[in-house]
Amino acid sequence: MKQSKKGMILWLLVVLTLLAGALWVGSAGRAESVQEAMRDAVLHDLNRISLFGLKEVNPGLISAFLVTAVLLLAAVLLRVLVIPRFRYVPGRLQLVLEEAVGLFDQMAKTSSPHRNGFVGAYIFAAGTFIFVSTLFELLGLQGITVHGGPVTLPAPLSDVNAAIALGTLSYLVILSGGIAANGVKGVGKTLKEFSLPISMSFRLFGALLSGLLVTELVYYYVSLSFVLPVVVGVLFTLLHALIQTYVLTMLVSMYYGEVSEPAEGKKRAKKASPQK
Amino acid sequence: MPLNIDWQQILLHWMNLAILTGGLYFLLYKPVKQFMAKREEHYRQLDQQSAQRLEQAEQVRMQYEARLAGVEEEIHQARTKAQQAAQRSAEEELAQAQEQARQIVAKARAEAEHSKERVLKESQRELRKLAAEATRRLALQADPFDQFLDLAERGDGHEE
Repeated sequence: MKQSKKGMILWLLVVLTLLAGALWVGSAGRAESVQEAMRDAVLHDLNRISLFGLKEVNPGLISAFLVTAVLLLAAVLLRVLVIPRFRYVPGRLQLVLEEAVGLFDQMAKTSSPHRNGFVGAYIFAAGTFIFVSTLFELLGLQGITVHGGPVTLPAPLSDVNAAIALGTLSYLVILSGGIAANGVKGVGKTLKEFSLPISMSFRLFGALLSGLLVTELVYYYVSLSFVLPVVVGVLFTLLHALIQTYVLTMLVSMYYGEVSEPAEGKKRAKKASPQK
Repeated sequence: MPLNIDWQQILLHWMNLAILTGGLYFLLYKPVKQFMAKREEHYRQLDQQSAQRLEQAEQVRMQYEARLAGVEEEIHQARTKAQQAAQRSAEEELAQAQEQARQIVAKARAEAEHSKERVLKESQRELRKLAAEATRRLALQADPFDQFLDLAERGDGHEE
């Protein structure tokens, strides 16, 4: 009892000391105005990072490469250390992996019953990328801009280029499903949904950007930096990571299923429906 | 480009996503799916085996039931046969006993007849003997009538 009281008092002292220290030291002054910070959060055109000295790129691209590297490293470790030790009665980690793979596989099978091998693999990768890269902004990793200043690496999908890339790639995957299943007719079916790449791209961009802007705004003012970031930064990020993952993977698998549905099956379904 | 859209960066993102998709497919998605399919196959086989064993057990049960029904019929037949054999044996024994009894009775009758005849013959012989004796005495004595009467009285007492 006494020990726990002592521990609590010590913890409070540490917190108060750190707070006092932070207030006493003060900040070095703002390098940019709130307008500039917001503009840069949307456009990423001020704080750019050099890609191996070859080109100046948005920090979102560096974030995307980092996320991919981390995911692939984790995948290699899991492949080498965990998967060979899989058992018929799964342990916790095995259960998590099987749930993740089974979730996307089942989603692909349900939404696209005729052809789902490739789309299952794609939505698994896309879903994992969206989820992890959205949570990536919580780490607050710093990069060095070409001007020599620090910049917090944002979520890759808050960069419009990443959102467009994912949206258009998803559209191409849907198109490939249409071609594989129905040939030229499949292309026609897919092209009917010409607004899909734009809507998917900007849905992702808008969702991620809105989160980023709110977070930027909160962090910009010191007075908002207590308690509030826990809700805004962590819970909102987690929530929209889940929502965006679900939305994009569900949309891709549904459209893929629609365009890869064999034409004969549809005719039969149409013939069968008036009898009801 | 508006919104800082950069086609080169979009292509770099595409490359990044392609690498990620391929890597995750070969390193995680495929092996985990293969393992899950293997496990599913394992449990399907177990299920099939248990279904086959169940079917076999059902067949064996039916066979035993059929055999049991046959055995019951067999037992019934054997019981009927045994009952018939026992009845026949009893009838035979009864017939033998009756025959023996008939033979004993016949023998007894024959013996009785024989002894009756013998007694009769003996009586007749004795009577003849007595008659001869009486006749002889009568012929030798004075009053043969009295002697005859005496002899006759004695002969009655003898017969009694």
